[in-house]
Amino acid sequence: MKVLLSWLREFVDAPDTTEDIARLMSMRGFAVEAIEPFGDGDTVIDFEVTANRPDCMSVLGIAREVAAAYRVKLRTRGASPVAASAKAPASLAETARRRGSPHGPKGSAPESLDIVIESPILCPRYVGAVADVEVGPSPAWMQTRLQAAGLRPINNIVDVTNYVMVEMGQPMHAFDHARLAGAQIRVRPARAGEALRTLDGQLRTLSPEMLAIADAERATAIAGVMGGGDSEVTPATKTIVLESAYFNPLSVRRTSKKLGLKTEASMRFERGADPGLPAAAMARALDLIETTGAGHGRGRVIDRYPRNIKSVVLRLRREKIAGLLGGAIPDRDVRRILERLGFTLDPASGGWRVVVPTRRVDVTREVDLIEEVARHYGFDRLPTTFPALTAAAPPLDPRITCARHLRALLTTAGFFEAVTFGFIPERAAAPFAADGDLVPIANPLSELFAVLRPSLLPGLVDVVAHNRRREQRDVRLFEIGARFTRSGGERQSLACVWTGAAAPEHWSGTGRPVDFFDAKAVVERVGQALGAEIQTTPAREPWLAAGRSAAVVANHARVGVVGQLADALVDAHGLPGSEPVYAAELDLDALALAAGRVVRVEPLPRYPSVTRDISILIGDTLPADDVRRTIREAAPPTLVRVAEFDRYQGKGIPPDKVSLSLRLTFRASDRTLTDAEVQAAMDSVLSALREKHGAVQR
Amino acid sequence: MIDRSAIDTLRADFRLRLAAATTDRDLKALDDAFLSRRSGSVTALLKQVASGPPEERREFGRLVNALKTEIESALDGKRAAIASTRPPAGAVDVTLASRQIPMGRIHPLMRVRQEVEDIFVRMGYEILEGPEVEDDYHNFEALNMPPDHPARDMQDTLYLGVPIPGGIWGAHRGRVPEAQVRTATLLRTHTSAMQIRYMKTFPPPIRLIVPGRVYRRDNLDLSHTPMFQQFEGLVVGRGVTLADLKGTFEAMVRELFGDVKVRLRPSFFPYTEPSAEVDITCQSCGGAGCGTCKHTGWLEILGSGMVHPAVFEAVGYDADEVTGFAFGMGMERVAMLKYGVDDIRLFYENDVRFLEQFPL
Ligand SMILES: [Zn+2]
Repeated sequence: MKVLLSWLREFVDAPDTTEDIARLMSMRGFAVEAIEPFGDGDTVIDFEVTANRPDCMSVLGIAREVAAAYRVKLRTRGASPVAASAKAPASLAETARRRGSPHGPKGSAPESLDIVIESPILCPRYVGAVADVEVGPSPAWMQTRLQAAGLRPINNIVDVTNYVMVEMGQPMHAFDHARLAGAQIRVRPARAGEALRTLDGQLRTLSPEMLAIADAERATAIAGVMGGGDSEVTPATKTIVLESAYFNPLSVRRTSKKLGLKTEASMRFERGADPGLPAAAMARALDLIETTGAGHGRGRVIDRYPRNIKSVVLRLRREKIAGLLGGAIPDRDVRRILERLGFTLDPASGGWRVVVPTRRVDVTREVDLIEEVARHYGFDRLPTTFPALTAAAPPLDPRITCARHLRALLTTAGFFEAVTFGFIPERAAAPFAADGDLVPIANPLSELFAVLRPSLLPGLVDVVAHNRRREQRDVRLFEIGARFTRSGGERQSLACVWTGAAAPEHWSGTGRPVDFFDAKAVVERVGQALGAEIQTTPAREPWLAAGRSAAVVANHARVGVVGQLADALVDAHGLPGSEPVYAAELDLDALALAAGRVVRVEPLPRYPSVTRDISILIGDTLPADDVRRTIREAAPPTLVRVAEFDRYQGKGIPPDKVSLSLRLTFRASDRTLTDAEVQAAMDSVLSALREKHGAVQR
Repeated sequence: MIDRSAIDTLRADFRLRLAAATTDRDLKALDDAFLSRRSGSVTALLKQVASGPPEERREFGRLVNALKTEIESALDGKRAAIASTRPPAGAVDVTLASRQIPMGRIHPLMRVRQEVEDIFVRMGYEILEGPEVEDDYHNFEALNMPPDHPARDMQDTLYLGVPIPGGIWGAHRGRVPEAQVRTATLLRTHTSAMQIRYMKTFPPPIRLIVPGRVYRRDNLDLSHTPMFQQFEGLVVGRGVTLADLKGTFEAMVRELFGDVKVRLRPSFFPYTEPSAEVDITCQSCGGAGCGTCKHTGWLEILGSGMVHPAVFEAVGYDADEVTGFAFGMGMERVAMLKYGVDDIRLFYENDVRFLEQFPL
């Protein structure tokens, strides 16, 4: 709300500089967006008016708050600077008193206007008046003030309606009387398909849930939103009908939304105008028309008020004020603050009975009154305390502890944490979800944010590409966050990507590029940290390179994937295909179910272990897992560890074979193993390998 | 006649050359020049002894021998000194570059998040995550924003094209939280949705922090991203007051930013009454006023207020019995102020050169 300082000063004497007024008002709930010099030594203060305070979308409304803040008197009489034009304007109260009495010079023609409200729920009050006018430019002072408020001067009639809106907060409208069929105003629902060309030149199709201002034949305005072009006031207009009404906020809001049409009027009506204001505003408008020489009112002001909106009456208890604010506020301050804001107070048991002015649509409960008191008393004057602890804190969310754990683990493994957006382009998401399993955004900002991410990896690969373009050759990244599918809903996920060197370059030796087994190690370490034993089994994913991808299994459940990203995917993200990118993604919700090992300490071994190495020739497609399983099944329980330590293909090895060397460790908890025992175990292991896999010992 | 001055000349010459010697090779050359049996200059002097007058022979021989002994021991001493400067066997050049242990970084937003979590854990708060996909009821309606409420315009919402199952929350608390059964239709615009889920599941007293991602239909610019990170705070119980809210913020801000001032400014949120924005002393100018703080000396860091009775009614609490305060704080805002970041997009670009500026 842009308020011209000289206009504000007509209503209130704020004994302060502009900057100090701005400072104080921001501490009363009206943040100041800007202070700008305007015209000849004047200033415009742009107050931010929160959505609950439509009563402050006017100079008078702001003036009332300034008066309360400075504890000074509010003048409700707007002394517009008509200086040049002889007559001083009558006070609002005076003109309001004249409401209902013949207005304008004696002997003028009758009003010749008929007002019918067909929808009293959507239009509880409609005040109309007729005036004979001579259309021309409005006085310079009025134009200046409108411009200061951000409005464009049009002509002396439209300007008066806008002036009253800015000054008092009542949106008004003027029709060309001659263009109203049957000299009639009918406030009725629009007819299905009824069309209207609005003042902005758009042809709009109305629907029955919209409220129209119509004449005897057709709609001439969209109630509370915008007038129609046909009945617009033009230089040829001789007689006008002025409208000052109260419309249902919800109805105006819905209409404005549906038409995509936001106006100064609709913004005020949809937040809630003052049902008590239309008559006073009409009096002010007629006054201005007369004093500026734009014309004369004719006949009576017609005030249709079929559904009287009563003032809200609330109870305000001292005990509740102190109970909510944490400190008592003296009675005289309570009374002073509320009365200055226009509330009426009567003593009642434990406090007051408060009548709320109709303009204060935001005050419907006792707590709203307490806010008013606190606001003008000053939050800074309230005491500062600390809430008492009355119960032990529940345990931390294990998801949060898990995320912290993973962050510590992965950063020490050289991974940088990334945070990327939850929505990604559809084509980036498509490889990561089954057909029809993507979740589209209904109203995305752009194609870049079209679907919810089914995986964290597309976003992370983009980050790899970003960093590669900025001279970072080795990139290790991870992200922890939610991913989404239609079938699975929202799931917590951990994703890692790794490209470049397995270890940083060093003068002592040649580096090695990252490979599958580095990526697998990361996945295993995450499993270890969370207490889940990880296995990998061959698996195919459209976005992973064939033969270099695996499913991650924990406790017999699939919890993720690990592997080298497919060339096509790497390419789609603008990365060179020659540099492999390894990636892993784990479902943290699934992993949490598979994990949760209880720590129980086992006694340390008391007897020495015996190790035996074997080298065998086997088919080169036989998984190492199968070999280990065969060994374990064939060996006695004294086998405590089996691990491969060499794998060789090439000279001296048949083309479809591989030489695999394994180290077996045996140990018993109750004795030192004998050579014979171990040899017997090795014999059965070797014969099992021969039988199951045709293995030949080398 | 033997020239005794020749001895002094040789001594002076030796001393000069010894001082200039730095290597074993230099010492060997000195040894040869002075002491060599065939060509050493001291050896030559000794040969002269026999040819000198007999009365001087004894004394002269003694002097030349003394010089010889002096040179020998000086050479030994210097040899030992040079040997002691040589690295021992197996020595390494300790100034060579180390073999780097790769170190990643926690994202600055998550650093802030962990820091705030820690502050509130110490104050006895529960920390909980909630679902990011929400339904209209929890995100708006129960928070005193019925359909068509003007305040809904304050947060431009992103809706899902199809409803999906909502996320899991609070599974560790051993109940089935009521909220899980609903289907999600939108991306939460604030973490406040968890106020409702939590209060519908658990009775007061409550001290809760909900960190998480939220979404708005905002275009990317210097200070806006369509997704950002928020903290929700909720304290409910008998006799919880606005003064308690002030005290809590003062404690939090002191821990986060050090010795700065805090002020509450009246504002409006549909789910709190009274509502307040919380400002802290501008970090760029120390409160004197500058471009960053629009010359006010203050910077807004969070929105807060006393829980609106309508919210208590929606979750079935007795608004006459309990009161509470709630607040929402943006992690980006805190991180920007704390670390002097002036473009919010840096947090989402994840440029390693940006990330590695933060300590581990
Ligand atoms: Zn500043």
